[in-house]
Amino acid sequence: MNNTKNKNLNGDVVDAQNLTKTFGEEVAVDSLTLQVPRGSIFGFIGPSGCGKTTTVRMLTGVHKPTSGQVTVLGKNPTRFSKSDRGKIGYLIQNFVLYPELTVWENLNFAASFYGVSLFRGRHLNKLLDFVELKGDKRKLAGALSGGMKRRLSLAATMVHNPELLFLDEPTAGIDPLLRRKFWDYFKELQAEGHTLFVTTQYVGEAAYCDLVGIMYQGKLLMVETPDGLRKKAFGGEIVRIKTAELIRHENRNNLERLSFVHAKVRVIDDQEIEVIVDEASTAMPQLVEACKGEGLTIETIEEILPPFDDVFVRLIERENDNV
Amino acid sequence: MFKFLIRISSFISKELTEILRQPRLILTLVLGPFLVMFLFGLGYPEQNRVLRTTYLAEDPSSLQGDMKVITETNNPALVNQGVESNKELALAKLALNQTDLVIEIPRDALETVRNNEQAKFVVYHNEVDPFQIAYIQSVARIYVDEANGRLLQSVTEQGQAEAGSVQTSLESAIERTRRLKQAIPPGDSEAATQVNDLEKDLTTAHDQLSTFRSLGSSVLVNPFNADTTSLSNIIFTPTEFFAPAVIVLLLQHLSITFASLSIVRERRSGIMELFKVAPITAFETLIGKFLSYLLFEMLLAGVITALAVWVLKVPMFGRWEEYVLAVVILLFTSLAVGFLISLISDTDTQAVQYSMLLLLASIFFSGFFLDLRLMWEPMKVLAWSLPATYGIQMLQNIMLRGASVPPLLLQGLALIGVGLFLVNWLLLRRRMEVQYS
Repeated sequence: MNNTKNKNLNGDVVDAQNLTKTFGEEVAVDSLTLQVPRGSIFGFIGPSGCGKTTTVRMLTGVHKPTSGQVTVLGKNPTRFSKSDRGKIGYLIQNFVLYPELTVWENLNFAASFYGVSLFRGRHLNKLLDFVELKGDKRKLAGALSGGMKRRLSLAATMVHNPELLFLDEPTAGIDPLLRRKFWDYFKELQAEGHTLFVTTQYVGEAAYCDLVGIMYQGKLLMVETPDGLRKKAFGGEIVRIKTAELIRHENRNNLERLSFVHAKVRVIDDQEIEVIVDEASTAMPQLVEACKGEGLTIETIEEILPPFDDVFVRLIERENDNV
Repeated sequence: MFKFLIRISSFISKELTEILRQPRLILTLVLGPFLVMFLFGLGYPEQNRVLRTTYLAEDPSSLQGDMKVITETNNPALVNQGVESNKELALAKLALNQTDLVIEIPRDALETVRNNEQAKFVVYHNEVDPFQIAYIQSVARIYVDEANGRLLQSVTEQGQAEAGSVQTSLESAIERTRRLKQAIPPGDSEAATQVNDLEKDLTTAHDQLSTFRSLGSSVLVNPFNADTTSLSNIIFTPTEFFAPAVIVLLLQHLSITFASLSIVRERRSGIMELFKVAPITAFETLIGKFLSYLLFEMLLAGVITALAVWVLKVPMFGRWEEYVLAVVILLFTSLAVGFLISLISDTDTQAVQYSMLLLLASIFFSGFFLDLRLMWEPMKVLAWSLPATYGIQMLQNIMLRGASVPPLLLQGLALIGVGLFLVNWLLLRRRMEVQYS
């Protein structure tokens, strides 16, 4: 385990090396290595039970790793001082605040146990404004809807203005519109300089992140940018071409021989194909020229961004194939 | 230091708000005990139970004359329901709860006594409660003592009447002896001495008989009596006597119940995970919770005491500052017991069960209604491990005797409280620290 004085110098607020956590015989997290750059939104994506929460618990100091090393804000989380803890915000997966207290009282409670100054009225109001609960501050938390509870929890997580936020499935079980709103909040927080480590089961939310870690069966398959994930899943970027004429077999063979084209051309129908390229923006003019050379008139040519669900499924399939 | 105060204030305000948000609960907590004590006073106005008594005599006419005098009683605990000659009928009445006692009068009682044998009264009852059985045994003993006394009194009165004629005979014997003395020839000194001695003996016997006749028959039969006087010179009603113990038991139970649910609920809700990550320590959490409940319970104790003293007129002979000190230490220790339950319980139900078990133990072992002096010595260890035992002793001392609290009681209770606080702190620290497995 790293010494608490062993500061990470490259600007990563989280640096985990070969983190493993076992519960008896069960391996919950297996040799996880990742870095979270300061000021980024790091999406931690994977299906339920894949080890996301266990990882968050190791990063927040709730669980001690069975093996491996981790520093968060330059310190070993299991040896966090009070001041270190004050720099961290943690949104737990379930609603854990007090249903018998009002929105305001819950927020006030959270502020007190984080030791926030008693002159905090304006700050708390601002937070409620941020999560759009200002008009509901006298409502009992138990009477709030699921989405409002999540927003209250988020406000309570930010009450002490932490540097680093661990948000464990903040969007679980809420409607797509509200989910979108949450990601708007997260972007605002990022703009204010916070670093966010967000776990989610919604693969589509990867698009909002700067970096995405894909977790599957306790293993971190990869850490990539959202675009990088697509490339990894499909071997490059996808360009779809629709022509006026029939695309023959020899036309497809000739296109496949181009240096920037990877893998086989995928046939959609007689006049439509998908081509995997290194980089769509530079490849498209060259593909137009190549098609002209083949005597094909291009009706449309566009970059296809496959949904992250497909990306995720492709990556998992590849992982399973490798296994 | 300032942040420490802010952190503990979070729990004080949170716990108090949660409780105050339930006005019906508060009303129940304040009025409930008051109502219990008030109804208790109404329900038990008499100190002794009156027993409806049926006398069983095969021949009711045998209860006339001397026997009537012997069997009649002035004992207020016995209410005469008449004489029954059929034993089966009398016992059936007893079984049907139409009478409380059947006293079987011994057949030919006086004859039996004259034949130098004891005549036995048989007292039938239908009780299962050992305390009621003991009460009936005591009443039966008093009844038989009374009957024995009456018989002796009657015999004594008869003896005194007979002593009158003996005395007259003695007077004439003394007169004759005097005349005999005058008739003795001078010089016969031996005869004179013997007559003098005889006269002296007869006079002594006469004087003793005079004394015997001059004494009342009741004094002769019961020469000694006993009066009991309390140092405080006050006889308390059951409500007055039980009020301090009820206050103690209630405060202990409320403290234990509130505290026992407090941490276990937070553990189950999952917020403890947040506490682990937040900059709050187990000590701050525990202090915050202790202070919040202590404040609330002190308020509650104040209202209950005020109602008991000024509405129910429960006596308060001691000093208020001692009362407050005793109650605060009782509440602190009870809360410590409650938090211990909370930390070792896995569910709310378990915590409630432990609290109820403790209440039951306190009712039986704290001296609430059974005197601790009756308890088997080794069991007293259990009794003195309950905060209520100390509380009842202290409050009875202060309120009913007007005496100071023995320092040992205060110190013992405080020691248990502080010890449990430390245990709670260690347990909560373990719960709030990093999980290794």
